[in-house]
Amino acid sequence: MSKIFNKTLYALLTIFVALTTIFFVIRLSPGDPVETVLGQKATQAEISKLRNQLGLNLSLMSQYKVYLKGLSQGDLGKTIFGAKDVKGLLKERMKPTITLATISVTMSAFIGIFLGMWAGVKKNKGFDKFSRLISLFALSFPIFSLAPLLVLIFSIKLNLLPVSEWGTLKHAILPIITLVIPLSAVLMRVTRNKYLEEVHSQWVMVTRSKGLDEVAILLRILKVCLPTILNIVAIQLSVVIAGTMITETIFDIPGMGSLLFDGIQNRDYPIVQGVIVYSTVTYMVIYFLIDFINERIDPRTASE
Amino acid sequence: MSRKITKEMRWGFGILSLYAVWAVAWFFYRSLIKGSIFRPYVPELNMQTELALPFSKGLILGADLLGRSLLEVLSAGLTYSLTISLIVTISTASIGIFMGYMAVKAPSWFKLCFDLLINIIFIFPSILIAIMIMAVTGQSMQGLIFALVITGWSGYAKIARGESKRVLALTYVEGARAVGIGEVRLFFRIIIPAILPVMIVNMVLGISGVIISEAALGFLGLGASPYSWGAMLGASKTVLLEAPHIAMILSLTMAGLIIGLNLLGDGLRDYLDPKEN
Repeated sequence: MSKIFNKTLYALLTIFVALTTIFFVIRLSPGDPVETVLGQKATQAEISKLRNQLGLNLSLMSQYKVYLKGLSQGDLGKTIFGAKDVKGLLKERMKPTITLATISVTMSAFIGIFLGMWAGVKKNKGFDKFSRLISLFALSFPIFSLAPLLVLIFSIKLNLLPVSEWGTLKHAILPIITLVIPLSAVLMRVTRNKYLEEVHSQWVMVTRSKGLDEVAILLRILKVCLPTILNIVAIQLSVVIAGTMITETIFDIPGMGSLLFDGIQNRDYPIVQGVIVYSTVTYMVIYFLIDFINERIDPRTASE
Repeated sequence: MSRKITKEMRWGFGILSLYAVWAVAWFFYRSLIKGSIFRPYVPELNMQTELALPFSKGLILGADLLGRSLLEVLSAGLTYSLTISLIVTISTASIGIFMGYMAVKAPSWFKLCFDLLINIIFIFPSILIAIMIMAVTGQSMQGLIFALVITGWSGYAKIARGESKRVLALTYVEGARAVGIGEVRLFFRIIIPAILPVMIVNMVLGISGVIISEAALGFLGLGASPYSWGAMLGASKTVLLEAPHIAMILSLTMAGLIIGLNLLGDGLRDYLDPKEN
């Protein structure tokens, strides 16, 4: 029980430090949202009026207090551009990103684990060599160089899929492929290496000599490898779910990544803070869940 | 113990040598043949050759949006990319080794701060950190390098922490302690040589990571040079219909370099891994 308490405390501390850092860093860095909203022609009076309205005239510490007070009541504030409710905006932008993230990470987990185990079983044979070559290529085309090539092939030459925008399943196919290729390649390598580490251990030998069939042995090895693999899945999921800025900009997806990018460019403080709250909390939740699952699978991981 | 140079390593080394020769050749071409050391040659704009296809108008690889020879632009991008990635990798690895070692040796409050810092760097999207830093430094090479160092050291620190833990438990460290070696000397003479092989493997693999991060920032318009491969890829996206060769050549050139680095890094890892032998 005290462990859960400690973990929660640590998670809250991380969230708090992340929020505080972003709050001050973004305000102390050059660039002024008010001048961007009003444009260059604005008079001094207009500028200070808007500044008063937004509460940006207060000292940093009092702004911080106001922000924390709002946050404790679940209020993330209003955007500087267009005065939209940040919470509503986040909810709206979350959908495409979470859809994209869960589908592509789940798919690449299945593909990566399956191909990785297969490559491990066939070590140094045809399939292993072939799959290593494929994963090498998959990891050498970063998303922003892979995506144009896929668009070129599937949208321009073959005319099968739409290039950008968001809405139907057809729009989601290319972004999902661009994400699945590198993610599954990483998981495949991790799975293969972990499998080869375990396959020669004594307990496998004992199980085999007891006459268990190969499929059952394979499943047991997979169970032992799973915590390591799931840790990588957790990292991937938390990165992708925080917003895949590049994928979202290439395919014009209205998600968290593009929201954050625009937010930083316009110095729209509440948006940036809101996205950071969202990504920190999801990060912590994912780690909690993965730790919990790993402890169920292999109690030894709990001691770490 | 049978350590052998694998086919992977040979291929990786071969590919990287090609790129190295290319970079050196370009360096001589731009600062000795076509320009001078103080006024290096830069690829020229030429409206007539805009978006020229490969092997047309006297250009081997064709031309980009501004009519610059694609081969020259690629070469300029290569030297730029290599310079940045080498500087960043060496700095991040040095900081990482130091911080990772401190995380093992230092008091527990330092360990807590270390964990928090690494978590926060991981949570904050690197693009956010880069934009913030470049808002202060301007969109310059120094700013870019600083941003990449800030976001990049934590990976090395994690590895260095694990390695330091492992090495500190070894008997010869205990022996060195018994002889009365000082803390500084212990770090430089015993710990660093022991963890360096692992760090070097990760540095080789890390260089390709830096090349990708730099290109990603360039792609989003946060590069420090018009010759950044990422920036050029971003521009090529707008003319994908008219001149698909630009995006293709850029992707393949970048992929080749990354494949070379990954092959060499993987080969080195297997070579140094005690478990495989």
